[in-house]
Amino acid sequence: MEANVNPLAVILVYFDSKGDRLLYRYPYQTLGQTEVATDEQRKSRKRNPYAAANTDDLLQTPTHISAAKSQGQLQGFADDVLSALFAVKPQLCNQKFELKLNDVRFVSHPTLIPHKEQRPSNASSSISLPSAGGVTANPAPAAPSSVLAVKKQQMLINIVFALHAQASYSIVKCYHELSKRLGLALKFEEQRSGYLTEQTAHMARTHDEQQQQPLERTLELIAERCSLAQALKSIFHDLCTTGLLSTSLNQNLTLCFCLPAKAHQLHKKGSMVDPETIDRCLRALKPYHGMLLLVDFAELLDCVPPTGARMLWQLVDAYNPLISLQSMASNADLSIEHVYKLVSHLVYWAKATIIYPLCETNVYVIAPDAPLHTKSHLVEKFSTRFAGMSLFEVISDFSLPTSIGHLTTPLQQPARQGILAQMVLWMLQHHLLMQLHTYVQFMPSEDEFGDSASCGHQLRGASDDEGDQDADQDELHDGSMLSMSSQPLPVPVASINHRRDVSEDHSSLASDNIAVQPSSSHKSNFSMTASLSTENCDSIDSMEDEQKLKELLQVFNDADRAAIRRIPASLNVDDLALLVKLYQMGYFKSEHHLEEIMYFENLRRSQLLQLLDKFRDVLIIYETEDPAIASMYNNK
Amino acid sequence: MHSHTNDAAGTSSAGSTEGKIRCIFLSEFHATAGCKISCQVPDNYISKDVFDAINVYIIPKQHLQRCILTVNAMDVKIVGYPVGIQDQQKYARNAFLFNLCFVCDSRARSVQYEPVVKKLSEYLIMMEEESCFLSREDDKRRLQNIFQTVLRDLNERKVATIVEGDNTIYLKIVMHKPDPPAVKDHMVPLLLANLRDTPLENWDLTTQQILPYINGINHVARIAAEADVETDLVKSCIQNLVYYGVVQLLPILKYSNVYMTQNLKHLIQSASLSNACRKYVALKPDKTLPSVQRIFQFYASMTHGVTLRAICQRLCPQHHNIDERKMVIFGLQHKFIRCIHKYPVFTGSVPSGRQKMYTGLISFDEICCKTGLSPCTIERDIEKDTNVTVIWK
Repeated sequence: MEANVNPLAVILVYFDSKGDRLLYRYPYQTLGQTEVATDEQRKSRKRNPYAAANTDDLLQTPTHISAAKSQGQLQGFADDVLSALFAVKPQLCNQKFELKLNDVRFVSHPTLIPHKEQRPSNASSSISLPSAGGVTANPAPAAPSSVLAVKKQQMLINIVFALHAQASYSIVKCYHELSKRLGLALKFEEQRSGYLTEQTAHMARTHDEQQQQPLERTLELIAERCSLAQALKSIFHDLCTTGLLSTSLNQNLTLCFCLPAKAHQLHKKGSMVDPETIDRCLRALKPYHGMLLLVDFAELLDCVPPTGARMLWQLVDAYNPLISLQSMASNADLSIEHVYKLVSHLVYWAKATIIYPLCETNVYVIAPDAPLHTKSHLVEKFSTRFAGMSLFEVISDFSLPTSIGHLTTPLQQPARQGILAQMVLWMLQHHLLMQLHTYVQFMPSEDEFGDSASCGHQLRGASDDEGDQDADQDELHDGSMLSMSSQPLPVPVASINHRRDVSEDHSSLASDNIAVQPSSSHKSNFSMTASLSTENCDSIDSMEDEQKLKELLQVFNDADRAAIRRIPASLNVDDLALLVKLYQMGYFKSEHHLEEIMYFENLRRSQLLQLLDKFRDVLIIYETEDPAIASMYNNK
Repeated sequence: MHSHTNDAAGTSSAGSTEGKIRCIFLSEFHATAGCKISCQVPDNYISKDVFDAINVYIIPKQHLQRCILTVNAMDVKIVGYPVGIQDQQKYARNAFLFNLCFVCDSRARSVQYEPVVKKLSEYLIMMEEESCFLSREDDKRRLQNIFQTVLRDLNERKVATIVEGDNTIYLKIVMHKPDPPAVKDHMVPLLLANLRDTPLENWDLTTQQILPYINGINHVARIAAEADVETDLVKSCIQNLVYYGVVQLLPILKYSNVYMTQNLKHLIQSASLSNACRKYVALKPDKTLPSVQRIFQFYASMTHGVTLRAICQRLCPQHHNIDERKMVIFGLQHKFIRCIHKYPVFTGSVPSGRQKMYTGLISFDEICCKTGLSPCTIERDIEKDTNVTVIWK
């Protein structure tokens, strides 16, 4: 899988009125011998007349002209064949072009470029480029008036990347994007100074001069002489090593590009992060998130053209993994949108990762795919970084979800906590730890009968009154809840509603044959319970509060309301009001973690935890990872 | 959006989709008219403009004949297998060049069609050589019929059988999937589809022998022992079943296991899934099915540091008509939960004996399985050894 990310070759094909030509390709390993090799291969293949031709296993067995990728290189295609293939018709220009030949996939963005008309003086030597995000070259305003006079001659330039056929769609898309940007950059340089005309002429001349020489030698010579060839060569190398490239064309225009599938492997071997995953993570970016840089400050500049670096410096000055993006934005005097953009850029380029700002209460646990083993280079790296500490000893504390606060006590020196925070950051940078968040799901447990039955029998002494109700109910329900009816009832008043929940729930979720109750009887039942419950509760003193509570409870449906009424805290207007508010905001649907609720509702943790505790009977609280951030981990 | 429904093959190529065949056409090099489409189903799917732009790749130079050539441009993806038949007597230009092509959407995956295109082309070559099936002008209607059948059957059933004259054409789409991971002794295979209904004799011999022991509880080593089949055979057999999506591998179920939730919200957000879950986990299917709330509560209580045993003691699943083993299986299968494995790591200088296995790469289950010792023995062993740290992940 990992090998599929690397390109097999980069090919430059040029086409104009004089015909097509493959001007340069890298690597040079040639194709002269391959014709022989494939012939031999073919012979050896045919040697056994009984060998069955394997027609189905196309992907595994390379067919005869296929690229023998023994050294991971492109072979088997003669240069003139390739050049004819990639000198595409004008209709196909300026759009994605993809060709798959056996097990090699070629991807490119053929670009039509008008020749710069030849003039002795190039007036436009200094054009400042628009910054950031690679090349966004708008046509140079160089001498527009005179251009009109000359009939423009178009040339076609096609920078083709040869990939493994198994390369995934998103990888192919990235290479297409790169080819497109290169085309655009060359178009810009051509219009500015006729760079492309000069370079292609130079390459063609070298080819003509060196016809006796082996092709490899010629291509080497081209790379020595032509800066465009050099650029392509270095692009190929960068793609194969880091996946990050920053190449300047014609010493003027800097092309920045990142192949995320490759770049993210630097920090975590074996991970396949495609741009879609990153996008998904970045779309979920919230002001309360924080950023954690993965590299030194100096390395950050790789990913932006120098002109775009000002804002980045502003952000980096304010960088602190302990604070949220929101605070970073205000400290750096940038708008939050700008910060999002910058952070997204850094994340895409594998320079940073998204975290929840480090604090004492954050709960961390070992990431499921953490590369923790005795042979791991991280072990040594860790003990060099934190003198004398063993990674395994430190990280084994996080076998159970643990917060920094738990691992330190006030009695220890404060320095210890600082070191621990540093270690946690280090482990987060290396994707060894993962943060867990608490999520809340509103879910009144309707069958509390069963619960009480299993947990104890202390409530067995049910009153007569209750028994009557029970009997009534049985009649009503036509014996459908047989399994329930024999259980003791914990809270007399609520019993009716309880049963109703069960029946309703069942009828809605499954096609159980529960007879639908006439609604009138339900209503009467409900009103009766409501009055009962208010009678029972002597804590309500004023009618106003009662009224208010009733209004608040209108939000819930009958079944949920009954469940909430059973909770003592529901009689407190403030508590109930907060619960209703959070419920209405949709925070109790397992979609929002506590930190998010705290941030958006401006609550303190203790406040929220108290509320959740009070209403724990209708809420299910559980810990899990933030799906947005977890998607960046390699969850299997 | 529900990630749990995606299987491994679906997620591997984010962005691309499994697409249907949109069109089948035959292009040939006509002695006077040049490149043209001589037969197309449905008609005019590939317009003349598009064809003119890409015909170089449909009828290419001689070097590229007889290799699968896929071109993806102008919003169509065309998979072809260009062929040239040399014959000086028969043909005006001494050769007959043609290409049978399948057309897909430009974002669709097309690898699975490549062998089919090739095979169908080979049939056509044979028919052409025998009876000039393609080059005779009047026969296009028959070809049209073949294409129609192939297009319909392959899209609907992935299999097509066509009888044309003396020839019978058999085609089948075989999906290409990534290689399944190696099967290990301690893994537990679980049958996914309802294959108990398929007659046993449809399977190969080894599969027939081990199939009765695959129940989602037995691990590979045990299956091998009980079915009296060699372990390696069982492994490759199960790997084969995994490849075809018939079997899924789960961690061994122990009451000392720890599970962790993930994406649990899908369970309540999808009604069909929660209903399926209620039916699956029910201890006695004839009684009232357990409620979603109850099941959710169970899953939600699974977290680091809490063993399945502790959860069962606390929540008494049996009282709620819940089979906790089935619940764990359902959760693992749909990825609501994942098992937290235990990895002993040797931190001393020179490991000896069993310590050599404590590398952090071999999980506790695997160690038990390899050494044949009980978990308790290993646990005691690890606890005594100060040079061993245990990591849960």
